[in-house]
Amino acid sequence: MALPNQQVVDYPSFKLVIVGDGGTGKTTFVKRHLTGEFEKKYEPTIGVEVHPLDFSTNCGKIRFYCWDTAGQEKFGGLRDGYYIHGQCAIIMFDVTSRLTYKNVPTWHRDLCRVCENIPIVLCGNKVDVKNRQVKAKQVTFHRKKNLQYYEISAKSNYNFEKPFLYLARKLAGDPNLHFVEAVALKPPEVQIDMAMQQQHEAELAAAAAQPLPDDDDDLIE
Amino acid sequence: MDPDAVAKAFVDHYYRTFDTNRAGLVGLYQDSSMLTFEGEKFLGPAAIAGKLGSLPFQQCEHQIVTVDCQPSGPQGGMLVFVSGSIRTGPEEHPIKFSQAFHLMPSPGGNFYVQNDMFRLNYG
Repeated sequence: MALPNQQVVDYPSFKLVIVGDGGTGKTTFVKRHLTGEFEKKYEPTIGVEVHPLDFSTNCGKIRFYCWDTAGQEKFGGLRDGYYIHGQCAIIMFDVTSRLTYKNVPTWHRDLCRVCENIPIVLCGNKVDVKNRQVKAKQVTFHRKKNLQYYEISAKSNYNFEKPFLYLARKLAGDPNLHFVEAVALKPPEVQIDMAMQQQHEAELAAAAAQPLPDDDDDLIE
Repeated sequence: MDPDAVAKAFVDHYYRTFDTNRAGLVGLYQDSSMLTFEGEKFLGPAAIAGKLGSLPFQQCEHQIVTVDCQPSGPQGGMLVFVSGSIRTGPEEHPIKFSQAFHLMPSPGGNFYVQNDMFRLNYG
């Protein structure tokens, strides 16, 4: 959903809600996409910046209107108006801060209270940082709630397109949809240790084959 | 003393302290004081200072736009209502807020905050 003063397009477009604790890198993440950065609009009454992110797929173009807060989540939960008419979502946490992962169930609950049955991606950001506090194998919440999980590093562009590709496939109902053009991104600000990251991805795959642990990270209602 | 002048002095002091030395706000509250912060209630100076201290931003800057004040009750209390905006970093957009304080006179001739309610104003 675009803002009233924002350009609308004649190809499929979807409202994407980005939530997660303050400081997890939500704004840094959406700002990587260069054309979205040029067309973003700020709406002070809702306190939201909307970045239109376009991707070219084998089925044509698709646009995500990414709703990014002005930092209201640092004060408490977000108002329903932020979630209403959300068609897909990204929940972000910071792998260098355990608390931000601990709060993921609360963000998921708040999101699902307003947006029932929308595709959701869980993103663990800052995987370029050496001293991780949340190891890949400790991330289990997505398995309990049937979310997709990706390890990302906004500053290095690592896996930038993955969440959007997953959501595009779900929204289009086509598991074979793929992107046909590289998106123009800001140049990487950090380098990621790919050998280390491949090890994390292997751990994640191994953990996915294990039975789910007890509800240690579930929300206590 | 002119209640409007007291309110103005209190508001200046409160937000200057908030922006430069948040921990220093603890002295403005007493055991029966309550803060409602974005719908969450905190009772007593320790809980209130704990909440304000745990807000996940180091620097912030309040911009005060309006201050309204009324005398409240026979004990010389005051109701103060503030609106303005807060910015939680140099690159952030300012967010509008409102805050209401119920001030009560303390024996030393000062005021303490009996009730404090804070809300962001958006969507």
